Amino acid sequence: MRHFKNKALAAFSIAAVFAASLVTASADTIKIGFNAPLTGFAAADGASARHGAELAIEQVNASGGINGDTLELVVYDDQASPTESVPISQKLIQNDGVVLGISGSYSGATRAAAGIYQENSVPYISAFAIHPDITRAGNYVFRTSFVGEVQGRAGAKLIGEMMGLKRVVIVTLNNDFGKSLEAGFREMAERFGIEIVGQYEYGIRDRQFGPIVSSIKNDNPDAIYASGYFFTAGPLVSQLRAGGVDAPVIGQEGYDGQKFIEIAGAASEGVIITTSLNRDSDVAETRDFIAAFEARAGYPADMVGASAHTAVMVAATALRAVGASDSAALRDAIAATNLAVSTGTITFNDLGEVQKDVQVQIVRDGNWHEHSVISDADLLAPPTE
Amino acid sequence: MLYLELFIQGIVQGSIYGLIALGLTLVYGLLRILHVAHAALFTLGGYIGVIVTNTTGSFSLAIVVAMVAVGLVGMAVYKLAYEPLLHRPPYIALIASIALFIASEEIFRIVFGPFGLSYIDPPLQGQIELFAGFRLKYGEILVMGIAIVMLSALAWLSAKTRTGIAWRATVTDPEMAAAFGINIQNVRYLNFFIASALAAVAGVLVALLNNLVEPTMGSVPSYKALAIIVLGGLGSIRGTLVASLALGVIEAFGTIYVGHLLDRDALAFAFLILILMVRPQGLLGAK
Repeated sequence: MRHFKNKALAAFSIAAVFAASLVTASADTIKIGFNAPLTGFAAADGASARHGAELAIEQVNASGGINGDTLELVVYDDQASPTESVPISQKLIQNDGVVLGISGSYSGATRAAAGIYQENSVPYISAFAIHPDITRAGNYVFRTSFVGEVQGRAGAKLIGEMMGLKRVVIVTLNNDFGKSLEAGFREMAERFGIEIVGQYEYGIRDRQFGPIVSSIKNDNPDAIYASGYFFTAGPLVSQLRAGGVDAPVIGQEGYDGQKFIEIAGAASEGVIITTSLNRDSDVAETRDFIAAFEARAGYPADMVGASAHTAVMVAATALRAVGASDSAALRDAIAATNLAVSTGTITFNDLGEVQKDVQVQIVRDGNWHEHSVISDADLLAPPTE
Repeated sequence: MLYLELFIQGIVQGSIYGLIALGLTLVYGLLRILHVAHAALFTLGGYIGVIVTNTTGSFSLAIVVAMVAVGLVGMAVYKLAYEPLLHRPPYIALIASIALFIASEEIFRIVFGPFGLSYIDPPLQGQIELFAGFRLKYGEILVMGIAIVMLSALAWLSAKTRTGIAWRATVTDPEMAAAFGINIQNVRYLNFFIASALAAVAGVLVALLNNLVEPTMGSVPSYKALAIIVLGGLGSIRGTLVASLALGVIEAFGTIYVGHLLDRDALAFAFLILILMVRPQGLLGAK
């Protein structure tokens, strides 16, 4: 009897599992793939990206989903590494059946994954990776943030023209992020009358900048254009100030976030960056995002979170327009995006690059605030091929 | 003046390398294990230092708590990870050590969060003018001072005390030492306690200089300290110190003058390769 009972139970469970899988298959769920560094050195950015993306998914589902269907984010940890992001993309496309992918990761991982999405004709949106080659993978790949060169050019205008500072030291993080920022900065330096009086490079694992600080003190520049992420820029800025260097420090979106201010402390006051998120914005989308992000994440909104949120919103808007069944139609709908979101109004050029204003933010009283906005369309023109 | 400043920056960095690498040398000298997970103890020291400082407001208490706590964790690492593997080939212990190190980075991330921690009110932020135009930060003076005090204390311990003699005897010939009634187990515990406490001090000091501790802060020391002990001559304490300071100074000048060709880590390994080509036994290693 007992034996029979067990068998019946087993048969029932199998039937139940089978039924459940049928229900899942026939339920109206549209899946979006998401790769982000949830572990490893970039885990902090991965956490923000995930909060931003999941917030967008919740908001879309709360406002009726995709024409009644539920949007689901399928998240994998890519450790910001191409060796992880490639199999993840294949798995997302082939096993999970996502209709579109979003990168909440850095350039290396995103660039490698872009090729896989392109081969499979599945749209892929890079939320904040900056390497120019990402969108060159093909017509299914888009980017909702600036390429590094564009931000570098904005930095040159900011320092040379808007701030009127001419003798500049460049400190470059020696990865694709820092190198492309430096390239854009150098390209425009002459136009804005900037003389580069010193240049230094450092690796992403460096946190101790004593020798660079000593040498910059010796250069005595008007301004310092330093690329980096909050975890390198925080120690750099704090060591510059502790070492007696008072020249203004101009950074970029890698600094963006409360953590930079926490690390650099009082030394962060007056630091200026070019980025995508304006904390003092009076645009409703931006204000709503900033409030909702902090409520969800428990810490203030940052560029990475805003960019991931932006990418999901772009995807959801295209899905609402054409549905999920036809990849080519979905691609065309993304290409035709004209959407006001937390990071500005998003439109794409033929290469899939975004054209939008650069937000300049400054640290005042321990928070990021608006410094100015750069909206020079020629200067900020993204690559077209 | 710039040269002098770079030299001092190199000594500061070298002192930190010394505190970390010395622990590795101690462990290697005694057990012939390449203790990669040592860098995880360095990170743990940094975290404890920041947390204790932020909750109690006392930086000196933080140093003591970090040393004792991490020293005990170091003993536990020996007991749980290495002791069961002592009769296996050394590479088994090395693999265990690497695994422990990788796991620890993620444990730090899960326990303390991915963003890292900073001192709320960073201690010792001022600087002192030694002579016209030449300034040193209090933090940098502390780094050099602590390195000198710790290393002198260690030298005294090993040369002048019975414990130190027992320890050196065990390093030279464990079986003979045991035959003379030395408790080898205690020597090993002591060894791990001291090595780990030194790493903890280094962690607290690095946290002070950067005002940041993060889950992956051990990743550079994990391999650079290995390079340093090879450079110094495996197992040689004096060699380790010389190699640490030399590497610090070379990195300081290299960052400025050839930084656009080779970054800091690449420089360190280029230097290592160069030295090993000339002196395969390391700077002060015995042939």
